[in-house]
Amino acid sequence: MFTDEDMSAVFHALSHESRRKVLDLLKAEPGLSVGALAGRFDVSRIAVMNHLAVLEKAGLVISEKDGRSRRLYLNAAPIQMIQDRWMSEYSSHFAQRLTGVKYAAEAAANKKDPK
Amino acid sequence: MITAMMVNTMEFAEREIYAVTIDAPIQVVWDTLVKTDEALPFFFGAVCDTKDGLKSGASMRMITPNGKFASVVGDVIEFSPPHRYAHTMQFTQYDDGPCTVTYELSEVDGGTLFKLITENVPAGTKTEKSMTSGGPFITANLKSLVETGRPKLSGRMVMTLGPLLGLVTPKRSRIENWPL
Repeated sequence: MFTDEDMSAVFHALSHESRRKVLDLLKAEPGLSVGALAGRFDVSRIAVMNHLAVLEKAGLVISEKDGRSRRLYLNAAPIQMIQDRWMSEYSSHFAQRLTGVKYAAEAAANKKDPK
Repeated sequence: MITAMMVNTMEFAEREIYAVTIDAPIQVVWDTLVKTDEALPFFFGAVCDTKDGLKSGASMRMITPNGKFASVVGDVIEFSPPHRYAHTMQFTQYDDGPCTVTYELSEVDGGTLFKLITENVPAGTKTEKSMTSGGPFITANLKSLVETGRPKLSGRMVMTLGPLLGLVTPKRSRIENWPL
């Protein structure tokens, strides 16, 4: 089951900029240690740990013990289940074409007219 | 889609984890996962084919239901029902070397925690791209199949389209090129 409660936890976790940044970092560097992750933020280690707790509770981050440190991984499955709720294979195909044009056009416009 | 976030992946793509909690007993999840000789919607409609069953050291391949093509070939590294199943895998249509897939099942409050772990995926390759989209597909479709008795729409579509996929499958994937 992926209940409304589960989904609320995922959206709550995603509603904070720092937590989204944690997911960006883990997507780019799967297995980042807690210490290394905390080093990427200006806020206190405690604040980062609190964000991690929220992300883990939502299932978006998985941590595994590795000796004395903990390694962190992004879990994309809850995001897949959000997509499953509102998007079909067809709509995701066409939505991707649409966003693909958006990204390409914006990148092209940026090149021409750097802000 | 290439983003700035991909810059650092070379060094770190060796391990990724996908996880879902499935509302079903561990044995049911296991039996669904390791079925052989039957089209599996959560494996893109392929059939897991072996000489005489899945066991440590055995060769396995994922084949089309008509038995004409093998999409994936590998060797079983560990087969420990109902908790752990690991195998190497290589896409027959790419030149990339093999990577490792491990399935871990554990009993948790509310059912079974099902984890899919990919390791040693060659960074920046077609294999990596396929694995990154395959991970969520497999975990979400297996969950739906076990809990509701039917795969998600994406899983049903690969079952329907299966026969058509043969048309776009390259010659090198023909089954006679990939013996067990």
